[in-house]
Amino acid sequence: MDYFDYSKRADPIRDDLVAAHRRTWEHIGVAGTWLNGVERVAIADETRRARGCALCAERKAALSPFAVAGEHDHAGVLAGPLVDVVHRVTTDAGRLTESWYKSVLSSGISAESYVEAVGVAVLVISVDAFHDAMGIPFEPLPEPKPGEPTRQRPAGARVEEGVAWVPVLGPSTCGPEDADLFAGLPPGPAPNVIRALSLVPSEVRAWHDLAAAQYLSARQMQDPVSPRAIDRAQIELLAGRVSALNECFY
Amino acid sequence: MLRASIEYQGNEADVSAVAGGAESEGNNPVVHGRELVAFAEAAVQGDPASLESARDALREVVGSAGLVDAAGVVANFQRMVRIADGAGIALDTSVGMLAEDLREDLGLDRFESAGRSGDLGPVQRALSPVLRRLAHFGFRMMGRRARKRSAVS
Repeated sequence: MDYFDYSKRADPIRDDLVAAHRRTWEHIGVAGTWLNGVERVAIADETRRARGCALCAERKAALSPFAVAGEHDHAGVLAGPLVDVVHRVTTDAGRLTESWYKSVLSSGISAESYVEAVGVAVLVISVDAFHDAMGIPFEPLPEPKPGEPTRQRPAGARVEEGVAWVPVLGPSTCGPEDADLFAGLPPGPAPNVIRALSLVPSEVRAWHDLAAAQYLSARQMQDPVSPRAIDRAQIELLAGRVSALNECFY
Repeated sequence: MLRASIEYQGNEADVSAVAGGAESEGNNPVVHGRELVAFAEAAVQGDPASLESARDALREVVGSAGLVDAAGVVANFQRMVRIADGAGIALDTSVGMLAEDLREDLGLDRFESAGRSGDLGPVQRALSPVLRRLAHFGFRMMGRRARKRSAVS
């Protein structure tokens, strides 16, 4: 199946955006580092279910999202704790806490699977957000491909106080096979947001690939001249307002 | 980044629209800032009717290509916030120093995610205004040079 055929849309979509969306779907459908293709597509599906989930709506309205118990509206493919991760990241990420993250680990989900699940979820959320913004119906999810996860954990990944809850890599702790994650950045410490998903390097690469088409590549970010049809201040105003509405301090 | 890009363009950086939204009383120095902010708000809030009208209004001023680029940016930052919050990352010290004044001006400390980033130390706090002035000067100089170059060519 040819995904993302935008050819009949009134507003022409850039070819590089179409290609990035197709690569993202391909990436989601295949086995990853810790999760197989069926699990990854199920995570994608849960991001969409979360939008209409009654429990998520009730939690969102509550003073504390941890005060409301119940069961999510889910497809029954993923284990309960993983469903909860995907739904919370989708609908109320700004109120996640480190103690909640630790309770996820206690439930039997590894930090590696957690990071990969977040990585897959945010890709789908982002592609769907583009469709929403343009008034285009959602793309059918990719068919899962057979295959086993590689289970390759970067040797240098560790929890760093004051950086993130999850174990991360940095330019000085990654092996040569993952040095590309930090390529093109200005001198100095790598930004924490670049390191956030680095426990699962393939998810960082997928994120960079999509970001380069939807926003800017790492190199373009350092250039105040915009390569897009809107200027850099216009781009950053959109970025800032979306982040503020999502209560993102970062 | 918004402040830097406004200063690069040679304008006074008023970023109040980030926190205040489309109805912010501040002077939004970004061209078509009101339409852009209204589009971002409608996209995040997800009401199809207001999104359609915000989309039409934005297309009217930035064209189809600008609208597609704007939708891409909105989509990207719907992801970025979830990466930051899902991984529980703290604000980088250098960014914290450059944006220390914005925390208060924009009321960012009210966000629950602010709790992940500690306060700056006394030395960092003292150096923060100096760093901001240097960055302000640097961006304005870069912008002035770029405008001169494009005027010559």
